[in-house]
Amino acid sequence: MAKDKEEATQVSRRATRLSLSTANSTNDIETAKSFNSQTLTLDNLVFGQEPIGLDDLLSCFPGRRVQILEILYLLGTIKSSMPPMFIYGSASTGKTSIILQVFRHLRRPFVYISCLSCYSPRILFESILNQLLFHKKDAVNGYSSVKKCEKPSDFVNFIREALINVIDSLKENSKKMSSSKLKGQVNGRMIYLIFDNFDLVREWDKSSSILPLLFGLCDILKMPEVGFIFISNSSPDTYYSNTGYMEPILVYFPEYTEDDLRQIFLRNQANQKLYSSFLDVVLRPFCRVSRRLDELSTAFSTLFKKYCEPLSDLGVVPNEDMKRRLFSHIQPHIAHSLNEIFSVASQPSVESEANQETRKKGSAKKSVGSGDFDEIDFHMSTSAKYLLISAFLASRNPATLDASLFDSTGGSNSRKRKRNCNLLINHFLLRVSEKSVERREAEEEELFMKGPGTFSLERLLAIFQCITSVGEDSFGEEGGADGVTVEGESNGLMSDVLLQLSSLCNVNFIVKGGSCPLEGSTRYRSTVSEDLALKVARSLKFPLSKYLFRR
Amino acid sequence: MAPSVAAVDSSPPSTSDTTENHLQPVFVLHKAASRKYERRSTGTTKTKRRIDLSPSIPKTLEKADSESTENFDDDHCVNLRMEAFEIVWTKIESTMKDVIRNLDTNVFNEIHHWVLESFNAIKSFGTLTSREATQTFPIMKDVSSKQLFTGLVLTKNVEFVDDLLTFEELGHYLKSQGCHVANLSSVDFTAKSGIGGCLRSFLRQFVMASLDAIDMSIMASWYREQGNYNNPVVVIVNDIERCTGSVLSNFILMLSEWVLKVPVILIMGVGTTLDAPKNILPSNLLQCLSPYKFTLRTPAERMDAVVDAVLVKQCSGFIIGHKVAVFMRNYFVGQDGTLTSFIRALKIACVQHFSMEPLSFILRGFSLEEDGQVLHDGLLSKMILKHAFNLPSYERNKIEDQSVERFATGLSELKRLKNQWGTMVSCLYEVAKGDKMQLLDLLCEAVDPTSYNCRTCNAHSKLEKDMGSSSSNDCWRRQYPILGRGVFICQAVRKVKDLPASQLWKLLKRWEELTMNINEIHEKIRELLSLLKLKNDKSSKQDTVDISKRHASWNQLNIREGLQSGKCKSCYINGVHGLVGTFILSPVLGLFFFLALQYRDYMQPIEFLPFHEIVCFKNVDKLELALMGDPRRRIQVDLLEFYKMLRCSCCSRSGDTLLPSMHDTSIMYILAQEHGDHINLHDWYNSFKSTVLCPINKGKNKSKQSPLLKKRKEINEPNKQSKASIQYPLYLIL
Repeated sequence: MAKDKEEATQVSRRATRLSLSTANSTNDIETAKSFNSQTLTLDNLVFGQEPIGLDDLLSCFPGRRVQILEILYLLGTIKSSMPPMFIYGSASTGKTSIILQVFRHLRRPFVYISCLSCYSPRILFESILNQLLFHKKDAVNGYSSVKKCEKPSDFVNFIREALINVIDSLKENSKKMSSSKLKGQVNGRMIYLIFDNFDLVREWDKSSSILPLLFGLCDILKMPEVGFIFISNSSPDTYYSNTGYMEPILVYFPEYTEDDLRQIFLRNQANQKLYSSFLDVVLRPFCRVSRRLDELSTAFSTLFKKYCEPLSDLGVVPNEDMKRRLFSHIQPHIAHSLNEIFSVASQPSVESEANQETRKKGSAKKSVGSGDFDEIDFHMSTSAKYLLISAFLASRNPATLDASLFDSTGGSNSRKRKRNCNLLINHFLLRVSEKSVERREAEEEELFMKGPGTFSLERLLAIFQCITSVGEDSFGEEGGADGVTVEGESNGLMSDVLLQLSSLCNVNFIVKGGSCPLEGSTRYRSTVSEDLALKVARSLKFPLSKYLFRR
Repeated sequence: MAPSVAAVDSSPPSTSDTTENHLQPVFVLHKAASRKYERRSTGTTKTKRRIDLSPSIPKTLEKADSESTENFDDDHCVNLRMEAFEIVWTKIESTMKDVIRNLDTNVFNEIHHWVLESFNAIKSFGTLTSREATQTFPIMKDVSSKQLFTGLVLTKNVEFVDDLLTFEELGHYLKSQGCHVANLSSVDFTAKSGIGGCLRSFLRQFVMASLDAIDMSIMASWYREQGNYNNPVVVIVNDIERCTGSVLSNFILMLSEWVLKVPVILIMGVGTTLDAPKNILPSNLLQCLSPYKFTLRTPAERMDAVVDAVLVKQCSGFIIGHKVAVFMRNYFVGQDGTLTSFIRALKIACVQHFSMEPLSFILRGFSLEEDGQVLHDGLLSKMILKHAFNLPSYERNKIEDQSVERFATGLSELKRLKNQWGTMVSCLYEVAKGDKMQLLDLLCEAVDPTSYNCRTCNAHSKLEKDMGSSSSNDCWRRQYPILGRGVFICQAVRKVKDLPASQLWKLLKRWEELTMNINEIHEKIRELLSLLKLKNDKSSKQDTVDISKRHASWNQLNIREGLQSGKCKSCYINGVHGLVGTFILSPVLGLFFFLALQYRDYMQPIEFLPFHEIVCFKNVDKLELALMGDPRRRIQVDLLEFYKMLRCSCCSRSGDTLLPSMHDTSIMYILAQEHGDHINLHDWYNSFKSTVLCPINKGKNKSKQSPLLKKRKEINEPNKQSKASIQYPLYLIL
């Protein structure tokens, strides 16, 4: 994957410097204007920036020395051909970056295809051809590809043609170079095809044709001057369902160790001592959770800001006492950000204002006499709320209990309900005494693993009918005081339930499952958390907990 | 189902709303105008339907204008009303649009600011050469360079209809600020069209060329061209919850891979909570996002703003009666909860009003200063007057004088009172704002004639009683059941009492602005303001006033009398003076009484005023029918009274007896009823379809009509009526 930003720091320093210098030398607008007339040559097949030495390359990637040397060895000398190479390792371990930097170092031409950006075989084919034929999409050619190529057979023909051309010109180029002893941009006679994010190909049309084609391209073309490099997140074992092509050479990128990570994070820091003390605190707990560089770096960047909060001068060298102080400052935040990968920022002023407002509101409420604090913070119509609750109940409670929880009269007979509740409790008590605690735990676990149950539309509507008629009692009381209730509220609530259901499905509160194999009707499943359901119930003053069946 | 609208027949009205059908998500079947086939060449369909409605003006009116109705139905009047409707509705609509746009400006500004910041953050990773920007391999920069800046806009509503417009507006706004904007919706993120589909609709909004193979490299080279690269690219996704997670996550991954080359900033609408993205996106994707939260106004706030602008403030003159208001409020709270449907209901109400009320065309000039204009239109004015003085509201008020001048003054009086009423409502709303009270609730109460009646009389007697007794909070509540929970106006009034001085000052200041147009109230509020100031200056030393002292002062100041006989002007003034006196001691209490007085004098519900029928729509049944329809009942009524639909003479006098000439369906239905069977219309329809359609399947072009023709063979009908029978299956589908 292209998530290997580990080298990032050092390279980025270098890269920014480079790009800045280039940006300064060439006026952007001019380049944009002259862009159309500019013809592409072999130079466009190499990494654009000035090449780096081996030492730089190695120092860019702490902890990756072995892999880099292995790759360099496999790529071999300028003239030597190479069998397909398969680089794999989990996300964010530096695969893409290292390959690209290696090619920058070697100054050899390559074609890079990310199977993420090229999301279908056709785009993939055309992207390869565009690069080999030095074609750029722009306004002049209507952003079209150089050739329309959908079939694999066409692709093989086209690519063979294009590769022969490129290799020929490479040969000429190297002859020229050797004769004139000029140090040209392009080095070598080989051309490499790099397929990044290769694991995604497996998902295209079930990999029936494309995967064997790409793996076997080497055999099909039989061109020793073409090298193939596959970069993948998943191990080669996952590809071997269809064999018959040449087995590639494997290069594995293991996860970084804690020390590697420390080195990587320490590069490029202004205040090494301070950051090192920060890493002392955070690196170990985080490494237990994840060693992905991208995840860690997002978490650390916010944490480090927190860490530095008490400091007035960021250039300070921390002593033991200060470290201890900073540690106690940061400690509460660590646990939080360990659990939270998705923290949403918002305008601080707005937030605090809103808080103030709610506080104000809260106090005002208190004075009026009715205060409910944690409310749902989005608008739902009353009938949608009832429907949500009924869906929640239908998913949680076993269907066999419906009859006892909701009597057929629509819940108007509260005494009966109470009796039923008692029955239920007795039942519950019996169970407790009967069964061993372990058994119960096992059951609970099973229930948890199963998740919310499914229910049919009819059951949902029945429960809905029951709870709206119950809810109406409280509704009626309120309404009486208002003097503005409408007659026939229940009718009103029932009228477009199906519309409400569809909008609840739309916001993923209720999920439409597959149809039941026996009945053939669609089954639904409620996915709301109990928390949310309780909040909704509270906003309706509906006694949800009374209806929840707990083992 | 559209054809059903253009179908048939006869008496039941509810047709005008058919023009609204394009707004409804689900079509409700309604019958079209009866005289469709005898349509005169002059009128459009629309106006004809309107004409048909007039006989069914509410019962109160019916006797009064039985003879004058005809006059009002001629083309001239109808056209006048149509014109007036156009004018009034355009005005209402534009007002609403402005209001909603103004509501969003703050958030839009905030978003724009954030977009620029994010763009700068992306740019800070370095400027790219054009070669770098279009190369296929990624640019190796800092780890965080792959972060995609994402604004999560909380729309606060589960339904997303309202937000469509909001996001469109946001797009326009950002475009006008120089961003490149693409508006996407969940339709673009379906599993069916996949990542290709959403990329296509993304690119189509920038690159004009028609393309068949689409990838981000096109976007990258487009971005490099023609100086596009100084501005951010903003992608707005309306409703993240409805998107297919896998497609959306692929899209985001792709964007984040290219973010340095094409600085995309993502804005996503979230209907529920911030958990929504967590629920649909995988975790490795969440950490590519660098989220930022924005909050739109809640639907309730929008609603308040719209109601305030359209119904409370003097916008078009059109207003809705109490029952209609309550119905619309309940529909909003209980059923739908979208502003869109509220506006639709309002429009339907408006249409109905203009189609039913003969004098409604006066509304055209109502908000302008040209009331009298129509009145001098010789022939017309006679009719108008006759009709106007027959209006129940006028008769109720028992004014004998029936002249043009009387009518004109009546109208302007109506306007003035409505204005006052609106001002008072907004004053009250100003108080209630902090309390999560909704303007719509307040409005419902303010237009309620019954509660006004009882409240005014109660308030006085209670106030009076209370004078002598203690005024502690509890007591207050016990003694004023009408001030109890739920009664919004009283709640608001009570709240004034609880306000601390500083907020009171603010409130009065705000009132001063609001009442600018009504001199009397304005004056009084200024008086109060100056007094409050005086008091604040004075009583900096002694803040609390002794309760007993207060009691003494009340008695002394004789407020009781002032309130008791509030009807007579002099006493009223007396009361105010008393108030002023009280005010010195306790501004809050003073204000409280002040409000009570104001309430009685200035907040007469619109339905009390003479001539209010001209501006006020009260027929809630019509509106309900138009909004919800009642197809099932309608079908059954139609089945029983089929002869009305079919206009056949043979069966109409049959009464309850079955005749062979009856429609088969009706016969069956009547039999089923006699038998006490419950019928399932849908099953019925299906069994009909299967028995009737099977034998005639060959003649395909005929198949639609033939079964029904066959059934209808005994009925002696001209060809035009065939639609009538086709209608049944359509009904039955429901």
